[in-house]
Amino acid sequence: MPPKPHRVLLDRVSAYADEAAAYVRRRRVARKPFARLYYPEGRAADHAADSRAGAELFVAAGRLIEVAGKRPKP
Amino acid sequence: MQIATTVIQEARARDTLGILAEMTDGETDAAVSADSAAGALAYLTEMSPDLRGGAILDSEGAVLAASGRPERWREDAAALLAAADGAGDEPVEQLHVATEQGEVFATRHGGLTALAVTDRFALASLLLFDMRAILHDLARGAPNAT
Repeated sequence: MPPKPHRVLLDRVSAYADEAAAYVRRRRVARKPFARLYYPEGRAADHAADSRAGAELFVAAGRLIEVAGKRPKP
Repeated sequence: MQIATTVIQEARARDTLGILAEMTDGETDAAVSADSAAGALAYLTEMSPDLRGGAILDSEGAVLAASGRPERWREDAAALLAAADGAGDEPVEQLHVATEQGEVFATRHGGLTALAVTDRFALASLLLFDMRAILHDLARGAPNAT
């Protein structure tokens, strides 16, 4: 007996959702720290952690993260 | 119809001058009060579930509002903005630094600077939009958008 049409549609949507969830998981695991600067005319510049500017940015950002502390629980 | 057209054009010229007179040219004229800044920061905190803390600075780098220790925010924000400005040949408008421990955002408008620290993987575009919006409101002296 062939599946009901709505079951086919639900299975397809579920498959796409699973693919998307897996993509997001992979992206989170693979994502590396970055420092990105944006300028008034729309230009953006990335600075690697091993560059001088990048190292300064990561150190300064780390201090701000320390100051902010943990997120307050609701 | 001819009379109406003339009136409309006169009104347009008069109102355009009024609009231009109200526009800021990069620096906010009115001093932003600490209360307004605290209200804006509270609004940002309410709007951003990933936010751990934040601060709003004036054009001199002084803290108008901050979550936590204002002195530490002032010193560390100054260091971050100095590093960012020194990385290129012009001052930055926005920055986003993502580390393993969290993410830091900053944006400038009208002589004001907003800083935010979030959990990892915060929605950067939404947060920066909200930060710009509160700075726009503060710069033009609008009441808090709450």
